[in-house]
Order: sequence, then C-alpha cells, then structure tokens
Amino acid sequence: MLPLLKVDFNPVSEFTEFVHHPYVDLPLGLDINKAVVYMWIAALLATFLTLFAVRRSLKVRPDSRQTVAEIVYDVAQNQVARGGLPEEGMRIWFPYVATLFVFIWMMNLVGFIPLPFGDRHFDLFGLSIPEFQIYAATANLSVTLALTLVTFFATHVEGIRYNGVIPYFRSWVPSDTPWWILPIMVPVEVISQFVRIVSLSFRLFFNLLAGHLVIAVFLGLASLLGTYFILPIGIPMGVALYLLEATLIAGLQAFIFATLSAIYIGGAIHPDH
Amino acid sequence: MAVTGDIHDSAKVLALGLATGFGAIGPGVGVGFIFGKTIEAVGRQPELRGQLQGLMWLGFALTEAIVFYALGMAFVAYAIA
Repeated sequence: MLPLLKVDFNPVSEFTEFVHHPYVDLPLGLDINKAVVYMWIAALLATFLTLFAVRRSLKVRPDSRQTVAEIVYDVAQNQVARGGLPEEGMRIWFPYVATLFVFIWMMNLVGFIPLPFGDRHFDLFGLSIPEFQIYAATANLSVTLALTLVTFFATHVEGIRYNGVIPYFRSWVPSDTPWWILPIMVPVEVISQFVRIVSLSFRLFFNLLAGHLVIAVFLGLASLLGTYFILPIGIPMGVALYLLEATLIAGLQAFIFATLSAIYIGGAIHPDH
Repeated sequence: MAVTGDIHDSAKVLALGLATGFGAIGPGVGVGFIFGKTIEAVGRQPELRGQLQGLMWLGFALTEAIVFYALGMAFVAYAIA
C-alpha cells in the first residue's frame, strides 16, 4: 500500500494540541502560541496591505490597487457602519467597525494559507520541517470572545454615555409595556443582552472551526477510512469546500461580525423604544 | 469485520453526528427560504437589489449560525459524556 494510509491523521488535533506546547511560556495563560502568531501575521498584513494600497498619492482616476482599497472602504462605510451606527456615532465607531472588518477578514484569509506551524514534523533532505496545515486564529474561542467583549463593553458604555444610566437601562424594555409583564420582560431582555456575547463569538468561531474541519476531513478521507477508493470523491469535495470557505465565508463572517457590532453599538446610542 | 471498541465511545460519536444532523435541518430550510424570498423580491423590484442583498447576507449568516450552536453543543456533549 502507499504510505498515505499509514499516516495517523487526526483532523481535530491541530485545533487543540497547540495549547499544550506554546512557543513562549508566560504566566497567567499569556502564552505565545500558534494562535497568537497567526494573529500577529494577520495584524501585520492588515496594516501593511492597507498602507500599501493607499500610501502613494491617491488619484482621481484610481489604478487597480486604489480601486480595491476604495471598494473595501465603501463596504465598510456604507454597508457595515451606516447600516447600524447613527451619524453622531460615526466619528468614534466607524474606525472601530472598519478595523474589525479588515482584521477579522485578514485573520480568516491567513487561515486558508497552508503555513508550517504544525506540531508534528517530517523530514525533507535531512531537515526537520513542521507540517503545513491550515489553521485560523478565529477558529479559537479566545480570539472571537475577546473581540466580542470589546463590542459588548463599548455598547453599554456608549449607551450610558449618550442616554444616561437610568434612561439607558429603561430603554431595554419598551416604554408602553404593561407593568404586569415586566417580571417576565426584564429577565428576558437582560439575558438577551448576554446571549449576544455567546451568539456573536460562537458564530465566528464555529464557522471557521467547522469550515477547517470539513476541509481537513474531506482531504484526509482516504486516510481516515483506510481506503483509496474514496479519493476521487474526497479530494474534489475538499477543494470545492476550500474555495467556498476562502472566497465567501471568510469575507462574509468578517462582514457579519462588524455589521452586528455596528448594529449593537448604534442601537445603544439611539434606542428604538 | 468484527465490531471492536467501546459501546460508550460509539454512542458518543453517534450522538455527535445525530445532534449536528438534526440541528442542520431547520437552518437548511431557513437559508433556502431567505435566498428564495430574496430572489422573489428582486424579481418584483429589481431596483432594490443592492439593499436586499445586504439584508440577505445578514439573514443568511444569522440563520446559518444556528447549525453551529447545535454543533457546539454536540461537541460539548461529546467532550463531557
């Protein structure tokens, strides 16, 4: 048999094992591990690609680089920020949601480039090279939860700053609610504020995690099932899912995260009811 | 092929698959509904296409996320069972 089937392939391990061997071991769990390095790469790319696109003098008739930058800016301003933020919140929070959009998009895209950060090594001409694998920083609950908590605290700080403490918390329930519904309404509304943390962070996290797992499972199906007859199905499916995830889902999830952040913050600045 | 291994492990794997699969039914219907309704709406008023597409993607992502709640809970159940 070919050596492929002898590989001990576990698609889950790359998302769980790296926590146990960080590159730099620091106290309080502030280790520098694979996810942190991926975030650094994404932050550098987001900064320098954007600078590269707009560094030279901007022209009235844009070239291709400037066109791409303008499209991204247009989406961030008109689709993401204007969709949720009121005009007086734009000055502070448009940079925030636009940064979220670009940064999460970069983290997702970097996650679809095979990089040599694997825990296991293979020998090539006597050199021990780490396995190439696809891993995304956003396929990690800590990353998405941290971003979500920034949005959560920003929401309530802005709500209190623009409306005052009492009117803001009173705005959580509709003002024309009959008093006898309040014992049900108040807990539901308070819980729904905290459920936002879960839904916002889990959506991004599981989209990326499940996306990467499905790609890994289909590409490694022959090794998982121990037969070669599955290869003509597994490889094309894996490639198709890879293309779908890298082109559509990566950008869409960044867009959704930024849009919902804008809607939450805008809803706190100007409560509807 | 003889069955080997632990029935407890196999039940856990089955539960993971069943929970994810059942959890995918509703969002699957919902995502189809969203795209279908958007096509219908664009067919009636093609000039609103841009706005409707933005709303469509928002609704798509919100609906699709429900699969991942099921998947997440299935993983939790798999890990603690």
